[in-house]
Amino acid sequence: MKFVAVIRQVPDGESRLKIEGGKVDLGGVTMILDQMDEWAVEEVIRLQEKHGGESVVVALGPERFEEAIRTALAMGIDRAIHLVAEGYLDPITQAEALAKVIRAEAPTLVFTGGQQADWDSQALGPALAEALAWPVVSWTTQIELEGETHAKAKHDLDEGAEVVRVALPAVFTSQQGLNEPRYPTLPGIMKAKRKELKKVPVSASSKVEILEQTIQEKSRLNKMIDGKDPVAAAHELVRLLHEEAKVI
Amino acid sequence: MAVLTTDQKMVLDMVRAVSREVLWAMAPEYDRTGQYPWPQLKQLAQLGLLGMTTPEAWGGAGLDSVTWALAMEEIAAADPSVAVILSVTSGLPQYMLNRFGSEAQKKKYLVPLAKGEWIGAFSLTEPHAGSDPASLKLSAQKVPGGWELNGLKSWVTSGGQAQVYVVMARGEAGISSFIVEKDTPGLSFGSPEEKMGLHAAHTCELRFEGVFVPEENLLGQEGRGLAQALAGLDSGRIGIAAQAVGMARAAFEIAKQYADERTQFGQKIREFQGVGFKLAEMHTRIAAARALVLEAAAKKDRGERYTLEASTAKLFASEVAVSVTREAVQVLGGYGYHREYRVERYYRDAKVTEIYEGTSEIQKLVIARELYR
Repeated sequence: MKFVAVIRQVPDGESRLKIEGGKVDLGGVTMILDQMDEWAVEEVIRLQEKHGGESVVVALGPERFEEAIRTALAMGIDRAIHLVAEGYLDPITQAEALAKVIRAEAPTLVFTGGQQADWDSQALGPALAEALAWPVVSWTTQIELEGETHAKAKHDLDEGAEVVRVALPAVFTSQQGLNEPRYPTLPGIMKAKRKELKKVPVSASSKVEILEQTIQEKSRLNKMIDGKDPVAAAHELVRLLHEEAKVI
Repeated sequence: MAVLTTDQKMVLDMVRAVSREVLWAMAPEYDRTGQYPWPQLKQLAQLGLLGMTTPEAWGGAGLDSVTWALAMEEIAAADPSVAVILSVTSGLPQYMLNRFGSEAQKKKYLVPLAKGEWIGAFSLTEPHAGSDPASLKLSAQKVPGGWELNGLKSWVTSGGQAQVYVVMARGEAGISSFIVEKDTPGLSFGSPEEKMGLHAAHTCELRFEGVFVPEENLLGQEGRGLAQALAGLDSGRIGIAAQAVGMARAAFEIAKQYADERTQFGQKIREFQGVGFKLAEMHTRIAAARALVLEAAAKKDRGERYTLEASTAKLFASEVAVSVTREAVQVLGGYGYHREYRVERYYRDAKVTEIYEGTSEIQKLVIARELYR
């Protein structure tokens, strides 16, 4: 069996973004492996640990993506393919370029992040499935293989969750709760240097061109809860944290 | 600071994440209870952080000292007690075993230490032999098949917890280093000393009553123990200096944030020059101390003599740690004196960096001697 994780490198959510000349300036910003892609990497490693076979990470992006790829290798992925393309490519164009390589790899399944933190888009996974003409399971929180032909997966819907059986190969996208990613170990980091990282130049032209970027200024909501009834206030706070802030 | 390589960056990203998520969260609890932080050490061991500089062939990660020093800074910023345990086990016993040990000794002791299955301790100081280690009295008497050790050792970091002790003792040929296992008959431990800080890093007395050490546990050449220990201390001092930088930085960051949030007389207190200048000085002194630490580490990595640089870094960084943590408490005022704000802990912990692995006065002696070498 072969398991593929598709990953991207994005700005750390804690870093402060600047706009220079109508474009986001990434200079001085810490770049990290997209957290949702990290769940995908972790799940692929777990599937390999459980079922054997091979784990591969595929990334499409500029040279600097190599850091994120090395992180995935340090976590335990066997080898990597880096499709090198500088500049912006829209998700559909990306999916087409990725699909060519992934089809050639012929994996059992592909995992990627449910959402791309930098574009705030959820398109890449479904677009990749479309380009491969494979089924897609988005927002996966649990996956279990049934032999080499099917997988049973639980995934989130807007108002709940459902359990599906899907024919493989298929594309899965990750959701919070899927797993707790491991830290790369020191020996893992040292070993990552010696793992295969194949670079493939890509010359695709984006169907979407970014003309101007601005940063949304969000003002505080200043929500106040009436504390006359402490029990009711606590319930309301929990509800707000859970449903609106979605932090618990 | 020099630009980091991808590897160094990756190691530090990992160490930072673990320090923040695992160590920082539990540090106050360990400081309060004074429990030896085994769960924290086990987790660091799983990630390969207990044998960072030991070669890969002996179970370590084979990292350079610059990365090690930067990692030590991160760990110390999160929990100084864990940092000193780490600094000792890798900077002293592992360093000495790697440098002076036989193949068999490395296989038996260095590998489990580097993998973090065991913790190592270093035992030079005695109740009456601190800054003057040459006057140590622990006796090593030749007996058939080995030596018999009798006497007392004190201030042993990880004493009673560590599985392996590198012990300096006096025999016919002078001072020699011996490898002693924790459960050797005749070896017993005092209860952990009650200290001003570093509560979770146990320090205790070792009592040797007819402790038999087999021939094969003599470390390196007989009679060369003091020179070996001093070489170990050169290496260990880089770790302690990095630990000092980490404590100073952690306290500084708390003070910096507080000064940006706290308002008095209608403005942020950082806008008062009295506070702003304090923060500027703290920042500058920390940056200078870090630069000295990295210079010593880089020299060690190049295989050059680094005694002068290690002592210089240790002297300066420990003084910076004490002054910066004191100023950090001052920036927070009454809150700084409150345990919840965490700066007082760094202030308590910092003081010992001017004392252990050679007092500041001893560093000055070393530096003055090295200047005319």
